[in-house]
Amino acid sequence: MGTTDAPGHSIADYVTGYTDLGRLRGFACPCGFKTATWVLACPRCGGRNLTDVDLSGRGEVIACSVQHVPSDEFLNEAPYAYVVVDLAGGGRITGWVAGVADPADLPLGTRVHFHPSYKPGVQFVRD
Amino acid sequence: MRETWVVGAATNRFGRMAESAREAAARVALKAIDRAGLTPKDIDHTFVSNAFGMAEHQGHLGPLVNTALGIPEVPSCTIESACSSSSAGLHEAFVHVAGGFADAVLVVGAEKLSHLDTLTATSYFATGADFPFETRNGATFPGLYATLASAYRNAFPLPPETLAQVAIKNHANAALNPHAHFQKAISLETYLNSPIVASPFRLYDCCPFSDGASAVVVAAKEFVRRPTSTPLVIAASVRTGSIVDMHDRTDLFGLPASRAAGERAFRAAGLTPKDIDFLEVHDCFTIAELLALEDLGFYPRGTAGAATREGETARTGRLPVNPSGGLKAKGHPVSATGVAQVVEVFEQMNGTAGARAVARAETALTHNVGATGGSCSVHIFRRG
Repeated sequence: MGTTDAPGHSIADYVTGYTDLGRLRGFACPCGFKTATWVLACPRCGGRNLTDVDLSGRGEVIACSVQHVPSDEFLNEAPYAYVVVDLAGGGRITGWVAGVADPADLPLGTRVHFHPSYKPGVQFVRD
Repeated sequence: MRETWVVGAATNRFGRMAESAREAAARVALKAIDRAGLTPKDIDHTFVSNAFGMAEHQGHLGPLVNTALGIPEVPSCTIESACSSSSAGLHEAFVHVAGGFADAVLVVGAEKLSHLDTLTATSYFATGADFPFETRNGATFPGLYATLASAYRNAFPLPPETLAQVAIKNHANAALNPHAHFQKAISLETYLNSPIVASPFRLYDCCPFSDGASAVVVAAKEFVRRPTSTPLVIAASVRTGSIVDMHDRTDLFGLPASRAAGERAFRAAGLTPKDIDFLEVHDCFTIAELLALEDLGFYPRGTAGAATREGETARTGRLPVNPSGGLKAKGHPVSATGVAQVVEVFEQMNGTAGARAVARAETALTHNVGATGGSCSVHIFRRG
């Protein structure tokens, strides 16, 4: 993707990817940075030679918070864990793990994988 | 650049307003202009912030405020930068005045959310984050800062009651502040008995949803011949930005926009953290105060918690932090917050802070963050 009108995936493609296709779509930069976030240039180095990639669905929880007061889309899911996952093969993504009421049940370092579901957002489950 | 001053400042009491943001904004604006010894006709430009105006079905607040002040012909615009909206407006005012494009500029921020239920207000607050890549995956505003707290505490373990000490300190300060939302001290027991909102945060780790309005008048030194209050000299006015998505940043142990803003502001002012007498920092959650103190260079990474426990940041300590009570206890009417921090500096430097006066108020720093640090403002003031 060298120019802004090249056919990189859209945010809608990203959402369809995880809701319907079991894919976590992202972008990779030659500098080594990978992200799920929609961008036209690399937020780290500014480079514009990004490629469309599928991010790994496997990774490790590096930050976690159990949500007891959710926003509207997650009203029926609380309590649950909102997590930042460091993905195997690079890139980090946010997501959630259902049925976690105590943060001790999901310590940092827990290995998780993407679990496609009809619920909102990118859902992970423990390996 | 022209020497640029804050010559007038006013705020209402934060908490629950019966009136609209529009009415409150106009009221505090007029008070700030009066306090400056100016009249509305002296204002060349108005910057208004009202990030959640849609909660009152109202946008385009600038001309409404100017009309209410009798100066409908004065240009205005709305500045939105999430929780740092009105400090972004202050920076725009500084640029206009220091650059010679205006002599006197009004900056006003107002917010009213108390008529919304908690669910709706929670959803409004989350709009400052990245909707498809954070919020839609289950993030709430407390949840985002809570993930920072989890990563920070994993790397730099804090004794269990450290976050509580931030809340207890800021409530003690707010108890002395007639502008504060919560004018009451809290005990450790009260803190520990409050429910978990987003682990590790309890209710008392979180700033409240507040209504409120604050205003300042910024003017060129050469325009203000006889200031009626002690002016604040703006020694630095800095805005920075960073990646919105926290997980895409290089680390989760602070906010890169705060680090950059601190470094640039100290360089611009020719000062170091040792020169600052007191600070108002962006403590939307207890962890945020510790991160701010470390990001701004007041403490090495991992040590602000211990300093807080030892009382260094208390109002009567070596480095008073948030003598107003901060966002945590003075309250956080999103778009009023940035300017409200400057109102606190104005009152401290004018000797009108009453019971919450700090021992020395010659130089001060304000730090205001947009949401989780996609934007940040740092201002440094000298007593004029």
